[in-house]
Amino acid sequence: MTMEPEIVVSLNGVSKTFRDFWLRPTVVAVDALSLGVRRGEVFGLLGPNGSGKSTTIKMILGLLSPSAGEVRLFGLGPRSVAARRRLGYLPELSYLHPFLTAAETLRYYAGLCSLPRREASRRTRELLAMVGLEEVANRPVGGFSKGMARRVALASALVGRPELLVLDEPTSGLDPISTKEVKTLVKALARGGMTVLTTSHMLADAEDICDRVMILNHGKSVAEGRVAELGTSLEEFFLAKVGDVQDFALAPFLKG
Amino acid sequence: MKPYVSITLATALEVASSPLSLLVMLAAMALEVFAPVFHYHQFGDPTRMARDAALSALFTCGAVFAVFGAIRAVRREIETGTQEMALAHAVARGGFFLAKAAGVAVAFAVFAAAVSGTAVTMFTGAAIGGAIAEQTAQLARVYGPCVAAGVAAIVLPLVLAAALNRFFRFRFVLTAFFIAAGVSVAGGAVSAALSGGDCLRLVPAVVLVACPALVLLSAAAAFAVRFRANAAAALCGVVLAAMLPAMDVYYRAESLSRGGSIPLGDVALAFAAALPAVAGFLIFGIHFSLNRE
Ligand SMILES: Nc1ncnc2c1ncn2[C@@H]1O[C@H](COP(=O)(O)OP(=O)(O)OP(=O)(O)O)[C@@H](O)[C@H]1O
Ligand SMILES: [Mg+2]
Repeated sequence: MTMEPEIVVSLNGVSKTFRDFWLRPTVVAVDALSLGVRRGEVFGLLGPNGSGKSTTIKMILGLLSPSAGEVRLFGLGPRSVAARRRLGYLPELSYLHPFLTAAETLRYYAGLCSLPRREASRRTRELLAMVGLEEVANRPVGGFSKGMARRVALASALVGRPELLVLDEPTSGLDPISTKEVKTLVKALARGGMTVLTTSHMLADAEDICDRVMILNHGKSVAEGRVAELGTSLEEFFLAKVGDVQDFALAPFLKG
Repeated sequence: MKPYVSITLATALEVASSPLSLLVMLAAMALEVFAPVFHYHQFGDPTRMARDAALSALFTCGAVFAVFGAIRAVRREIETGTQEMALAHAVARGGFFLAKAAGVAVAFAVFAAAVSGTAVTMFTGAAIGGAIAEQTAQLARVYGPCVAAGVAAIVLPLVLAAALNRFFRFRFVLTAFFIAAGVSVAGGAVSAALSGGDCLRLVPAVVLVACPALVLLSAAAAFAVRFRANAAAALCGVVLAAMLPAMDVYYRAESLSRGGSIPLGDVALAFAAALPAVAGFLIFGIHFSLNRE
């Protein structure tokens, strides 16, 4: 008998309906979604804009509560403080305190991870070097470019040496070289045993780093599987599954 | 506990580095320095004038400091998404709210200490100056130096902070805030030593007048979790209006600054009025925090 790998994140029939002031439903962002992320794998949540990727991630982190279904994080409820002690989160937009410097930002998050002072300073230096921001360590992040802010946010997610890393579009705002660096980093972290849950639009990137992917459309899972077993490229597979979503009515602009 | 201490400290520093906080603190100090001076020419009892000016500066400016400090500290985290970052850590929602409110309270304590320091200085100055003026009938010669010292206490921190910013890259507002507070407290300590500690009776009076500001602080923090800045400020206005008729519970200057034993009953009554209100608003804030998406 083989040992089943431990499930780190599990969603069971999870739905999220956003409501207006009068509690009328406005959007069904996630619809009866079930998934399981296994320890040590890189799991990709893919899907077009507005398909519910970020909403799913926020429910996993306990930032949004599901309207139906059950979310489990390390076997605990996502609102449990103990479960969140073991994860690192990179949000879709790099939310940073503009008045803190890069080094202060990392030290602040080291404090939130309860790292002792000495270790916090060491970790700060280490991570700033890793994301290539040593030279601007003492500049307030409010003045950083989008890509620089992204690097600070990524470093913040890694401060507490998490077991599970949750990345919402990790490469958005990064140039091609930085994108490649982030992919290399994620692969290295995964090899070191970290579980990674990531979202992306960049199918080629997802193909490179993910062991398993799930494709969402309109809040529902339309396909799930191991990247190695797809047979086609992820891009073809994705387009076949999501079909012709036409967000832009381009025809009138393309005439003549 | 460590995450909450980090949040409290970061919040206190954020409030202290806000230009509005510095401005309100300097305005309070200026009120304390100048308000009595204008009256010396007309009325007697300059010590009383200095005391009342200090307490009213603390109450009015303290309310502004507490309300806007708390609203800004809470709203900015919500609106810029940094709250989401914090709550993705091992941080409980209620604890996050309490740590934010505590951070604003720490900054407010520095503000109140600065205002008390100036109050003690002006009280002592008025006692000495008033006595001299009565004997010599030369008002200008006594009050001139007093006002000059007051102006210097307000301007010097700004100049010093500008220099530290220019040459050592210190943060201007934060540095000015702490230097101004430090100068004021040091001035108060020197005055207290000069006057044999008599003027220190002003301190409990100051603490009591700070109580309604703490009520407003907790109300503002709680409302800011649920409502936008303008709405939260308006609701704080309602809380203030509700408190005004009973303000004399907190205004115990007469009984506290008089000689003899301190009337503990008055002090207890003021705390009994403030504590349940502070606790109530904090519970509201925790409730709002737990239920917000
Ligand atoms: N706070 C909210 N209130 C109301 N509707 C929301 C809220 N957040 C998300 N939605 C809606 O939920 C749906 C899914 O949004 P979500 O942000 O999860 O998409 P996404 O897959 O992350 O998209 P993108 O790739 O553009 O980031 C969208 O229709 C969006 O309008
Ligand atoms: Mg998204």
